[in-house]
Amino acid sequence: MKKLLYAFLIAMSASIFIVQAKAQVIVIANNSVKASDVSKNDLKDVFTGASTSLGGGSVVPILLKAGSAHEEFLQAYIGKNDTAYRAGWRSLVFSGQATMPKSVDGDAAVVEFVAHNAGAIGYIGKASPHDGVKVLTVK
Amino acid sequence: MGAIPATAQSLEDLNIQIHGYATEGFLYTTQNNIFTASSSNGSPEWTEAVVNVSAQPISKLRVGVQARYFLLGNFGDAITLDWAAADYKFNDKFGVRFGKVKTPSGLFNETQDIDPSYMWSLLPQSIYPITSRNSLLAHYGGVAYGTVNLQRAGKLEYRGWSGEREIEGNDGYWVSFAEEGITLPSGTSGVEAGGALHWKTPVAGLMLGSSLARFNSFSAPLVDTYVVPAGPSKGITITTPGTFAVSHESVPNFFGRYDKNKLMFAAEYTRQAGSLTLMGVSPVPDQFNLRGWYGMGSYKITDKFSAGLYDSQYFDKSSPLGPSRYSKDWAISGRYDFNQYLYAKAEEHIIDGTAIGYDANLNPGGLKPNTKLAILKMGVSF
Repeated sequence: MKKLLYAFLIAMSASIFIVQAKAQVIVIANNSVKASDVSKNDLKDVFTGASTSLGGGSVVPILLKAGSAHEEFLQAYIGKNDTAYRAGWRSLVFSGQATMPKSVDGDAAVVEFVAHNAGAIGYIGKASPHDGVKVLTVK
Repeated sequence: MGAIPATAQSLEDLNIQIHGYATEGFLYTTQNNIFTASSSNGSPEWTEAVVNVSAQPISKLRVGVQARYFLLGNFGDAITLDWAAADYKFNDKFGVRFGKVKTPSGLFNETQDIDPSYMWSLLPQSIYPITSRNSLLAHYGGVAYGTVNLQRAGKLEYRGWSGEREIEGNDGYWVSFAEEGITLPSGTSGVEAGGALHWKTPVAGLMLGSSLARFNSFSAPLVDTYVVPAGPSKGITITTPGTFAVSHESVPNFFGRYDKNKLMFAAEYTRQAGSLTLMGVSPVPDQFNLRGWYGMGSYKITDKFSAGLYDSQYFDKSSPLGPSRYSKDWAISGRYDFNQYLYAKAEEHIIDGTAIGYDANLNPGGLKPNTKLAILKMGVSF
């Protein structure tokens, strides 16, 4: 019984950790993006190439090449790991349906791109500086 | 020196991208040789390499071109144009694509050649025959596409297409003709139009869809070659010109896919019926009445390893009773991704029936009704 209790506590701790991990990523957008919030489904559509608009305006996603914010974003909002996620984009590229989004190194590069490109939308770690961009609430 | 940064900036603005992939497959069969490869001895004759160049000068306009080297047994061994198109997307509701464009019929037609995008080594041959893939993948013309938001009822994606379909002279469709001495030197072509709907239902991960392709009648010159087997004229080759004609036909596909988290299920059904005539050879129309379907499922066991299973069945209802009338293919498959660029696949097929994939020349002793096919494949993409 004790073993079961320990297992339950470990599982609970892990789930709390996952919930906290999800909260460590924020979605940012260029100030030209009209929307101030975004649904999970719409966010997934934008970052999987299914949609190129948000709140009635065009958007352009930008990706992190790697890192914990990238992994957490994919897990929380896309439901795929990096390999499967990029395979999905390649499928669109090789069938002529889309162009691969830019990938950059580090949160600062994402903020820089988003701040200076109309319609740009990206994600960064919550603690990273993000002056000059707007933060979208994910509903 | 001032021009260099300006040029670099211009290229950056064009958002030029180069991508590609290459795969090498190994085939081994226990009985019949398959796909015109000497597979019963083990054959590495399955090689593909693709290069894709695209540019996006403005956010709504993309242009791109993709070339492919394809070798499978006696098929291919040439570089062909996969597609070359310009795409203008006004908004999510409407976009158009012109040039040589991928045909968006069925569940996998647009992506059936993109090996890195799926876990199978070989897609279900009942609907996606690899020996005819180059002909089915794309057409010269256009595609209109878009997505309609149905609010609480989900989303509806539509595609409409029209243009000219070319079926090459060395396509898999003609293998049985070639064995009888009938060739279509320049292949055939005809007008095609179609539409597809993909309903992304309110059930997360569930998509249901249908497509309908309408082909006008195709015709092309043929050559019937006959070598006199005996007598005073033995060895003399007689060629007779003729005309190949196939009636107009409609090909519907019905499909569904459930893809959520680590689980994927999909199923598809199609039928194709019509008649073809070899004028100058046999003026009597030959009927064909084909049915194909499959059901598949896969599971992502770890971040790097996926496994799956499918059952693919095909019936030619106009064929005489016997193994040549059908093909029933059970496949079990695994894929391992070493990283985002490099992967390996392994697949075992248990095939009952001989309706798909075999030729007489490489099976001179006749076809056995059952064959097991093992496939190993390595791929790299960037």
